[in-house]
Amino acid sequence: MAGLNDDAQWIVLMGFVVSFSFFFLAMVLNQSTVVGQTTAEAVIEFPKNDIRDVRNVIIQSASVTDPIVVHDDIIGIALSRKNAVVSYTVTSPTVSDPRTHIEIHYNNGVTAYNESWTSS
Amino acid sequence: MVARENGQLYTIEGISAGMIMLFTAYLVLSATSVYTPGDTHISDMQLEQIGTDALRMMNTPVNGSAESVLKESVEHYDTTGPAEFKRTFLNYVNNRTGSTPDNLHYTAMITYRNTTDNSAMSSSLASNANLTGGEHPVRVTEWVIADKQFPGSVNHPRAVLVEVLLWRD
Repeated sequence: MAGLNDDAQWIVLMGFVVSFSFFFLAMVLNQSTVVGQTTAEAVIEFPKNDIRDVRNVIIQSASVTDPIVVHDDIIGIALSRKNAVVSYTVTSPTVSDPRTHIEIHYNNGVTAYNESWTSS
Repeated sequence: MVARENGQLYTIEGISAGMIMLFTAYLVLSATSVYTPGDTHISDMQLEQIGTDALRMMNTPVNGSAESVLKESVEHYDTTGPAEFKRTFLNYVNNRTGSTPDNLHYTAMITYRNTTDNSAMSSSLASNANLTGGEHPVRVTEWVIADKQFPGSVNHPRAVLVEVLLWRD
């Protein structure tokens, strides 16, 4: 070991340790920039308002005078303007069961939503 | 073994330092997110929410026997509906705390189903500005069951979709 100074190897080692810890901190920071974006995108992807809206109109449609036309309206327009496949069946009240039952199915290719609705 | 074995620690240090610098540079570069036009929908969330809320409010009647503003607008879309829609909608979306109103513009359409060929037809409801192509509108929609006979049909009530393009200037 001629001419080479071997002192302070511990200090050099500690230097490594500190730099590696910085390193992992940087990786964490690196992730955090993307997290906000992916979360926002996931929130947008979910058709919350569409589902609420179509659910509302389907429940309303159970009490109109000509439900067959309204049924075709909802399905046709949902498909052509909202890119969603909507299907529902209404079971009207009977003597034994005085409540209205609706089976709602919604699928826009990304999100599927199914509900069995019963009037109170 | 004529090769000198001096300074091995310095060699290791040099290699490690180089790798750390390279990797750091990679991290910094990959952390940069470029905000492309396709990503602007993230900021559109707020606009969408405002528009949806406004339409939802307009589709809520003041009491059980009254008709909602939106339903009335749709049922009279060929007479008094547009004016009523315009007044209420702009009031809802542009009002904000303070004296200066917000600067949102919209174009509203009604989409109904043509019963003869099952196609979706659109008809203009109201607008307060023309779309020139440079705007970046969001689309908000609301379903309405309206007691109105639409062209190409004989039955009513009908379910129609009110579509609003909303943008900020």
